[in-house]
Amino acid sequence: MAFSTTVSQRKHIKRKAPRGFLKRVFKRQKPHLRLETSGDLLVHLNCLLFVRRLAEESRMNAFESKCGVIKKEHVQAAAKLFFSPTQPELRGMKENC
Amino acid sequence: MNVRRRSHRARSIGRLAHVHTSGNLEEQTPRTLLKNILLTAPESSVMMPESVVKPVPTPQVVQSSRRESSRGSLELQLPELEPPTTLALGLLAPGRRKQRQRLSVFQQGMDQGLPLSQEPRGNGSASSLTSSLNLTFATPLQPQSAQRPGLARRPPTRRAVDVGAFLQDLRDTSLALASPGDSLRTPVATLPTDTVLEDTQPFSQPLIGRSPSVYHSLPCLSHTEAEDAKRAVSHRTQSSGPRLQNHNPGKPTQLLAGKAKKVDALAVSFPNNSSAVSGEDGVEPLQDGVGEEAEERMEESLSVSKVVATTGTQGSVRMEKSKGHREMTEAAEAKEPEGSSGASLELASSTTEFLQARRPQFLEPAPPPSAAVLSSEPLEPLSTRLPPRARTPGPRPRQDPHKTGLSHYVKLFSFYAKMPMEKAALEMVEKCLDKYFQHLCDDLEVFAAHAGRKTVRPEDLELLMRRQGLVNDQVSLHVLVERHLPLEYRQLLIPCAFSGNSVFPAQ
Repeated sequence: MAFSTTVSQRKHIKRKAPRGFLKRVFKRQKPHLRLETSGDLLVHLNCLLFVRRLAEESRMNAFESKCGVIKKEHVQAAAKLFFSPTQPELRGMKENC
Repeated sequence: MNVRRRSHRARSIGRLAHVHTSGNLEEQTPRTLLKNILLTAPESSVMMPESVVKPVPTPQVVQSSRRESSRGSLELQLPELEPPTTLALGLLAPGRRKQRQRLSVFQQGMDQGLPLSQEPRGNGSASSLTSSLNLTFATPLQPQSAQRPGLARRPPTRRAVDVGAFLQDLRDTSLALASPGDSLRTPVATLPTDTVLEDTQPFSQPLIGRSPSVYHSLPCLSHTEAEDAKRAVSHRTQSSGPRLQNHNPGKPTQLLAGKAKKVDALAVSFPNNSSAVSGEDGVEPLQDGVGEEAEERMEESLSVSKVVATTGTQGSVRMEKSKGHREMTEAAEAKEPEGSSGASLELASSTTEFLQARRPQFLEPAPPPSAAVLSSEPLEPLSTRLPPRARTPGPRPRQDPHKTGLSHYVKLFSFYAKMPMEKAALEMVEKCLDKYFQHLCDDLEVFAAHAGRKTVRPEDLELLMRRQGLVNDQVSLHVLVERHLPLEYRQLLIPCAFSGNSVFPAQ
């Protein structure tokens, strides 16, 4: 059913969300705010998707530079797309909007 | 026969760097070569593995002699021209001291009646030859340290001096005789290699510089020292392993005894250590192959005690012993420098000691409180003993839990990438994640404030994802939850109707 469960993994990728970690991070950043119970799960989901997009982008960059190894520059270029003004970030999703 | 000789030569070449196969030897027969060797009485030496070596195939001896460098050429000339051989030998002598000694002993044993006086140079050459021969045939390591490692190692310096002077005389004479130049050169060239090849030498010198740095760099933590010592020990054990093996059958007890004495002498504040070490040593020599360790440990204890005295951490010494396994490598490293103080053999023994100490896992009363703490450590499973040594021993950096949490996502990144990644790239990913979390929290705050709330609710999250483009009219949040989250989380997030007209989670 779930898309991720079908992915074969050589390494053991934990499926558990580091809920304590996420809560702690949020508390550190915004101590005056509160996070709901299910909220951190969605935060985790957001993180997963972010990491996945970042990894795919880095991988594409590495392919373009014909590198067999992902280098720092590839990751940096991929991150630029995400942390620059929001619109460029939605490059992949812009057409959907 | 020549082929065999060459093969033999090749084997011994490793030991006898100075040995150069020369075509001259091929002309001679093993018998003549051996005779030459016998004629040249060896230098006095305490070692007596020769008796064991004697039965060693003589052709090997001959071959080794050939290998011995220019000796091959020298050997041919042995019967004819002694000075050149002596010259070559003299040059080689410094490097080959040990071997020569052994050879000399062997030679002496073989032919006491041989005219030693007649060919003093020849003796030197023969001794070198024979020593080299012995080394090559018999367990080369054995003669060096097996019988009396302590004795074998200490005198070398003395012998070098004697031989050097002797060799110089020989050289002068040989020069006068206009001996073949290559024979002279080769021995010279080989000398340095010989010294390098010698068993006991390598560790003492290069390690000396290391030990102080190794120990001083580390904080006074017992762990660190123990670990380093162990590393050093392990290193030395590894390197000296093969040699030690040979020595083990020798006299580890002797070494241990010697070391025990040393330990006592050195026992600054570690009477326990020395006693413990000696005690351990006593037990260990009994075990096969343990003798090495015992020796090493003795060495280690000695060196460690010295170091500890300087550093003031006994516990580390003991810790090292008890934690031989992992720290062996560390000790090896540390030991090597210390070994310089004692013969390399001693170091090896010390490493063995550590290894052995580790096994029995003795717990010595720690006179200093730190030692007590350290001693308690051995109780803990060794496997758990890999705490950060060189870093701050006290409070762990606050970043650690943060980093461990991030590492979870970093691993996911590397998994999704499906490609090997550089360490720098992974660190970059960590930075990106940090920035991402900051952005996320800011956005959530804005959204919550926009809704007039102080609590971030799932609606805010959905809005965030919609803004990011992950959620749109075609793909809803629930779809994403279904896709990417495990079942348990899906149950928590997506309301589902259950029997009894109940919905979970409650809306």
